[in-house]
Amino acid sequence: MRIELEVWRQDGPQDRGRFEQYVVVDATPEMSLLELLDRLNDQLVEQGIEPVQFESDCREGVCGACGVTVDDRPHGPVPKTPSCRQHLRAFGDVSRLRIEPLRSAAFPVIRDLVVDRTALDRVIWAGGFVDVETGTAPDADDVLITHDDAEQALDFAACIGCGACVAACPNGAAHLFAGAKLAHLALLPHGRLERGRRARALGQVLDDEFGPCSSYGECVEVCPAGIPLAAVAAMHRERLRGLFRGKAD
Amino acid sequence: MTVAVAGPPEAAPVPRPSTFVLKQVMAITGVIFVGYVFVHMIGNLKVFFGADSFNSYAHWLREIGYPLIPHRGVLWALRVVLVVSVVAHVWSALVLWVRGRRARGAHRRRRMPRLMASGARLMLPSGLLILVFVGVHLLDLTIGALVAPETFRSGDAYQNLVASFSRLWMAVFYSATMVFIAAHITHGWWTMLQDLGATGRRFRMVWITIGVMIALTILLGNALIPVLVQLGVIA
Repeated sequence: MRIELEVWRQDGPQDRGRFEQYVVVDATPEMSLLELLDRLNDQLVEQGIEPVQFESDCREGVCGACGVTVDDRPHGPVPKTPSCRQHLRAFGDVSRLRIEPLRSAAFPVIRDLVVDRTALDRVIWAGGFVDVETGTAPDADDVLITHDDAEQALDFAACIGCGACVAACPNGAAHLFAGAKLAHLALLPHGRLERGRRARALGQVLDDEFGPCSSYGECVEVCPAGIPLAAVAAMHRERLRGLFRGKAD
Repeated sequence: MTVAVAGPPEAAPVPRPSTFVLKQVMAITGVIFVGYVFVHMIGNLKVFFGADSFNSYAHWLREIGYPLIPHRGVLWALRVVLVVSVVAHVWSALVLWVRGRRARGAHRRRRMPRLMASGARLMLPSGLLILVFVGVHLLDLTIGALVAPETFRSGDAYQNLVASFSRLWMAVFYSATMVFIAAHITHGWWTMLQDLGATGRRFRMVWITIGVMIALTILLGNALIPVLVQLGVIA
């Protein structure tokens, strides 16, 4: 398989950046996007060219480290799938791909396809955690929780923090990400104790660093964790609740 | 590659009012508009019962609550609420639009073919069209200036309506605008659900269905009137 690649190259955060054309002649259908980039980099190293920088870690869709924009779609053409799980065989009859970083004002490019997603970390620092007293592990049946709540919390907890929702959003909003976190922690007994404080603190960072949500719904198209749009509603629900209640929980 | 991890940032200038507050303003004023437009449409249906019915309805609007409330008291209260809502809604929309563009960054991405996204994209243009429409509508049938029919006579609402919609371009403008109002309401109603924080699956389905029905009713109820005037059914 011969694939022509148009890859974003940028030497540093201050560099303007540009697309460079490359050709990988020995691509195979079972290659993932990242493996295609690996193959390209082998070629570039052989030619004495600086390889294309990109992020990856687990390569099995659970870590959230990878993420590039392929032909204008964050993560790639296959819906709800991270870049590492996007295989060429699923792209149809493709011979050209344009690969660039996840695009958003909140994600400055560090180099080539690597972006700085610290803005998402700041959301988590603000409230995406549960303060627990460490010590002896409590009995598993100490605090009871219904099966439905547990399942729903797990569904929202599935977010891997890749940032594709922000890159997909025409408004650069991170409501899906923040909403998944708030919805997840509000459902669990330990998280519930800080529900109001968390919603206020996290919401503030969200407002200050990201755009507004206009219900485009493009975030859910690319979310590898399948977080539903209801997460955005959960974000607003938690904030309204935190605002009117005014208490820590 | 190691990245210097920045701690929580020092207090940067924070945009005020916050995006959250602006979205709430839009949702609440949006509820007011949908309610108003729906009731307005129901009032418009009086036109199907003839000139007397329609005119006495128009007259009643000025007399609601009399003598408890002065003449035109309710009418003016409604007008004030609506004007304040329009200013708040439009201003919030524009501020949010600017913030969204800024947050997106310099690189534009090709659109995704999604019905909901098309609805979102249509909000600003359709909103501006509705603003123009409101201006034309007030000049045409309330104030009776500039774009009003030559035979405009204050108090004869039925005759004014028929005279106005007898002009083809005006009939087309009214009916076409209703399509955009319906689209605006459909997406706005949906977004209200998000902004006011309704997460229950069943509630969301019911809410969205109601929104589509309201939008369709408003479209049919209103757009039909200019069409029927053109066809000569209402004369």
